[in-house]
Amino acid sequence: MKNKHLILPVVILGLYTLYNVGPLLWLMISSLKSRPDLFAMPPTLLFEPHLAGYEAVFGVGAAADSASSHGVFASLINSIVIACSGTVLATMFGTLAGYAASRFNFFAKGDFMFFVLSTRMIPPVAVMVFYHQMFSSLGLADTWTGMIMITTFINVGLATWIMKGFFDGVPTEVEAIALMNGYSRWYAFRKLVLPMVRGGIAATAGFSFIFAWNEFAFGSILTTTEAKTLPVRISSAAGATGIEWTQIFAAGTVLVIPVILFFYLIRRHLLMGMTFGVLGKKG
Amino acid sequence: MKKCNRTAVLSGLVLGVSALALSTGSASAQGTSLTFVWHAGTCADIFVEIANDFPGDIEIVPALVPYGPEWHNRIASEFAIQGDGFDFAMWDSQSTAEFAGAGHAASINELFDRSDVLDASLFPPASLARYGEYPDGSGQYWGLPINQDAYGLMYRRDLLEDPEEMAAFEAQYGYPLAVPQTYQQARDIAEFFTRPDEGLYGWGQMGGREYDFATTASDSFLWSFGGELYNPETFEVDGYLNSPASIDGVQFYVDMFQYGPPGSNNWGWDEINAAFQQGRLAMAMQWFYFNGSNADPDVNPHAESTGFGVLPGAIGRDGLFRRQFSVGGQGVGINAYSQQQDAIQEFLEWYFQPEQQQRYAAVCQTGLASVLESPEWQDLNSFNAAFAVALNYTNDYWHLPEYNILLDILQEEVSNAISGAKTVEEALTDAAERQERALVRAGYTIGESEAPEVPDTVISPVGMQEVEVLTFD
Amino acid sequence: MAASRMLRKPISDRTLCTLFLVPSLVILAVMVAYPFLSLLINSTYRFSALRSNVEPVFVWLDNYDFLLSDPDLWDRFTFTGTFVVLTVSVQFILAISVAYYLQRDFRGRDLLFTVLMIPMMLSPIVIGFLWRYIFNSEWGLMNFFVTRLGFDAIDWLGVTDNALIAVVIADTWMWTPFVILLAVAAFRGIPVSIQEAATIDGASPFFRFTRLTLPMSAPILGIAFLLRLIDSFKQYDLFFALTGGAPGSTTETVSFYLAKVAFSYFYTGEASALAVIQLVIIIGLSLIFVRLLTRIGRQRQ
Repeated sequence: MKNKHLILPVVILGLYTLYNVGPLLWLMISSLKSRPDLFAMPPTLLFEPHLAGYEAVFGVGAAADSASSHGVFASLINSIVIACSGTVLATMFGTLAGYAASRFNFFAKGDFMFFVLSTRMIPPVAVMVFYHQMFSSLGLADTWTGMIMITTFINVGLATWIMKGFFDGVPTEVEAIALMNGYSRWYAFRKLVLPMVRGGIAATAGFSFIFAWNEFAFGSILTTTEAKTLPVRISSAAGATGIEWTQIFAAGTVLVIPVILFFYLIRRHLLMGMTFGVLGKKG
Repeated sequence: MKKCNRTAVLSGLVLGVSALALSTGSASAQGTSLTFVWHAGTCADIFVEIANDFPGDIEIVPALVPYGPEWHNRIASEFAIQGDGFDFAMWDSQSTAEFAGAGHAASINELFDRSDVLDASLFPPASLARYGEYPDGSGQYWGLPINQDAYGLMYRRDLLEDPEEMAAFEAQYGYPLAVPQTYQQARDIAEFFTRPDEGLYGWGQMGGREYDFATTASDSFLWSFGGELYNPETFEVDGYLNSPASIDGVQFYVDMFQYGPPGSNNWGWDEINAAFQQGRLAMAMQWFYFNGSNADPDVNPHAESTGFGVLPGAIGRDGLFRRQFSVGGQGVGINAYSQQQDAIQEFLEWYFQPEQQQRYAAVCQTGLASVLESPEWQDLNSFNAAFAVALNYTNDYWHLPEYNILLDILQEEVSNAISGAKTVEEALTDAAERQERALVRAGYTIGESEAPEVPDTVISPVGMQEVEVLTFD
Repeated sequence: MAASRMLRKPISDRTLCTLFLVPSLVILAVMVAYPFLSLLINSTYRFSALRSNVEPVFVWLDNYDFLLSDPDLWDRFTFTGTFVVLTVSVQFILAISVAYYLQRDFRGRDLLFTVLMIPMMLSPIVIGFLWRYIFNSEWGLMNFFVTRLGFDAIDWLGVTDNALIAVVIADTWMWTPFVILLAVAAFRGIPVSIQEAATIDGASPFFRFTRLTLPMSAPILGIAFLLRLIDSFKQYDLFFALTGGAPGSTTETVSFYLAKVAFSYFYTGEASALAVIQLVIIIGLSLIFVRLLTRIGRQRQ
């Protein structure tokens, strides 16, 4: 009886996991292949691993001193600073705005919510020249400040919307009771409501970090050397042999590790779900 | 409570670090440094390696971009805002019209005047024209030939020179098997070696929709059959691009896909390389640029038995033989808005010395005449001899600032012809009509002329009566 | 500390609200208003930012007229629409069924959950290459399995319909985790007490899911839907990497075309007009959807 109930979940989760994990494994396996192994048919599963792709990504070993290795480490630092700052700022701004939109009525609120989402609607290519112009005249081109502005900008709409959704899930009674008991709204927000939407903040930060870390369109035009991010830096993997597949796959593998770490750190909050869950457990 | 504080401290820390780094970042040492934009690859690697040995007090900083649209976009975007984000850049030969036409590139003629070292006579005139001249024939140069390239042919010697295969081929086709001199021969050989059950195909060529893959490949056929893309004097496209000779060429190109692996008609250079290296192709059209790796046994298991030659020509409907194929490669141009023109001059004067160019020529294709003419250069590898000959037969598509839109239209229509959505004639006629519309919209006036059946007779040197046989052994 | 807090005049809701909104408003003002105004103004000029030697010509709405009377553009809109509908619906069906089982606690769930999230964390550039490699007709993993299963090799990227399916498979692979994450959060947010009450009342699992779980998680699912709608409408990387628009231009999305007009042709005026058209459509779609969402929200209350 019990086993029968398990068939459907196992099949669905199993098939999806296969679809999900298969290409990932293929990415990692292929990142270790030599060029002849890469195009063998049927695909080789047992092969002598080659680290050339990883060497190229980090600019060590055979790839040391090559132009391709120039500034890889610096761009890693750039990426960490830019993605983290952008994530913190976007999450902060989004949390504040999301709360305001969830709890207060203000002038043109609907328009504001829409306007804030437009940060995601605008196609980067269409406005790139204008940004480039603006950044260049303000001295922001190829700087951390400029790129932090970009990563904040691309995420603030998403952050506001997700946070509003989570705040909407918190009953307004929480603050009402606090206010009745003589606490300020700021206090109620910080000490009562915020802890309830921890999951939401974690999810928002997680998403923002993903988009900030992988941002490419703006970075490829608005940076040259000083503020070049890692994805932009290592995307330039076309060499004399053609597309440097192993290098691209190695880069993909390396690039995703910080994001997985980030997710691992916030996993508890992510799975905590929304306020109701917390309240439900307490109640 | 504790957790909240930790989050606050963490966020504060991140912001603090960013602020700190910002202040130090902007105060980094300001020695003279020159930034250049190029796509990454072996040639950029060797360029940087050589540049690192520059004796002067100038640091050369690479700002490498992926090969593809980002490369063009990065340069174009900087020019659009007239910024000095880079000092010089290597751009594709056809972009000269676009960048120089709008005044973003510094004049090389002025550089020649200023410099005691650099002079037009250092470079083969054809190379200088190919990678730097705009408008065509004006003598105004905007780039120096830093990395030359041409379309070439690679083939498996172990197949084409195998006695058994040779005998079987001759028995079947009535003439001896050899490296093809005409596309007609190439088709026979490709057909002969197309053996799907052995995983072997006769001919590899690019038909990808990206960038200029399908266009550079099909143009090589089109020109060899006596076709033209347009009339550069009257800007007429209709009657030229869809002339009977042009259609012959593109039709031949489309037909050649049947001797390639199934599903290969949207391939680009990487897939062609991969298939060739896997031993799936007997012959392939490929840029000389990649020969370095295709001659490298670590990359190409068949390297020892790979031959490099010049692409065939064709006998056109007028009975004449022509051989013309697409030019590749890049010139180096100077950003007119760079504040460091003197430093750029100093560096380029040093870089275009034979000593540096010889180092470069060991890996990539130099544009310096003295190196190209030296006998050591020709013996440096198995393909330089063929490359030197190939440079005599190259042609380029539109040298107009609007080439990008013309290119995109032709890419789309050739792709339509490859996929069978349109016949070659329909595709080229549609392309001609659309390109003329685009030209009119860009402000050109289309003149009128009598478009001949084989337009090449009026525009380019006429073909020859005999098939010209080129061998390199 | 406590004393000083008591002495300070509490901030009014009004001020608090303003303070909360200011950072986002500043970002919007600087980063959206300026480029958006530039878009609007430039869209009325025949103008190329790159060809600065050619004077911009004021052409009123000529760019819009030119674009909207181009049948090829409508083909691109139709194709984009087909792609959006396909990819978003597949992602939601898949994500909701997976999330339904993933919301429960079981051994190894956290690990599985984290692993399943990885595709959306990968760099989109790398994902394009990965799937191009997998879908290669000669040495791709996909055709390896297809032929192993006894079917003929499929020309994945050379035929319009196949290419569309290929990109949907890749896009779904990449973005289903995004929907799963939000769906799991939403499902788990539903009070245990309500679920238990329904179970005691004898409601079937299907009834509980469709009448309880789904409506109660509608706000979050709605936001996920909206974000996926906007993002998939803008999809460009995957088409660029997998098909380049081929055959012909039949797999070219509007964003793909926009990128070409803006950066390859460098027709700034025309690109601005196209961007405005695209924005109007995205905004219109989102507006309809948000209205719907608010109505559902009100009904729920």
